[in-house]
Amino acid sequence: MIIYLKKFGDKLMSRSTGREAFLAMSAYLIKDLKKTELIEIDFEGVKVLTPSWADEVITKLIEKFKNIKLVNTDNVTVQATFKILKEYSNLKEIL
Amino acid sequence: MNVNLKQLAYRWITAESKNVNITDEYYCQMQDIFEAKNNKMLDILLRCGINENKAYLILAVVGEIGNNSFDHNLGNWPDIMGIFFGYKIKNKKVKIILADRGRGILTTLKQVIPNLKNDQEALEIAFTKKISGRAFENRGNGLKFVKQNIECKKLHLEFQSGKAKIEINSKMKISLADDFINGCLAILTI
Repeated sequence: MIIYLKKFGDKLMSRSTGREAFLAMSAYLIKDLKKTELIEIDFEGVKVLTPSWADEVITKLIEKFKNIKLVNTDNVTVQATFKILKEYSNLKEIL
Repeated sequence: MNVNLKQLAYRWITAESKNVNITDEYYCQMQDIFEAKNNKMLDILLRCGINENKAYLILAVVGEIGNNSFDHNLGNWPDIMGIFFGYKIKNKKVKIILADRGRGILTTLKQVIPNLKNDQEALEIAFTKKISGRAFENRGNGLKFVKQNIECKKLHLEFQSGKAKIEINSKMKISLADDFINGCLAILTI
């Protein structure tokens, strides 16, 4: 399963929009998937990501699935967000 | 018109509730209004020649500060809900001001750390420690993200809440403010 984050917008910033995005994913994209399924999260086209949005989506996906792959993560705010999540959200292994 | 944004924001957060008055240009009553204005700022930053990566980071930093005001005061605004959000761009120099009349950092953090002593201690924890004012939620990284990027990109932030202010550029300095404010006032200079 590939999740294209740009389908949720190119500026992924607030907790409330992150929460909505995760609810939509849960209803349509990741429903019925096994915990061991490979989930590829594609950041292509994302201009701005913040830790608030990422905490509501990326952190929850990482908690829910064992096999996560992050691709196209070059954007400066994506990298800055990962740095903070590694430091403060115990996600060192994946990020 | 040459508007002094800092003065305007300061007047807005310190005015008595019956005298609060601000034009729609700077007032974001709801979070979605703030987000729309912040998104619009990105286009303006890029049009004014600010480097694309820097503009994205500025948007993220401003987003975290502004959204924090809404997240931590939702349903709890002492009087006037919403935030002040204004910016000026001149010769690639940018000044961005955000302010709220919310409960402030100390009151918010006291819910999870009841023995917090004062505004200075609250500000230090908010910008450096893993903690959130909204208990039981996996959150609280926003202001650490702000600090990290301000330091890394050599921007300048002055942030006041209560009687304390924090200044961040390549280093961080916390001191007593000259005056007291109830909510938060952030001045970001690029």
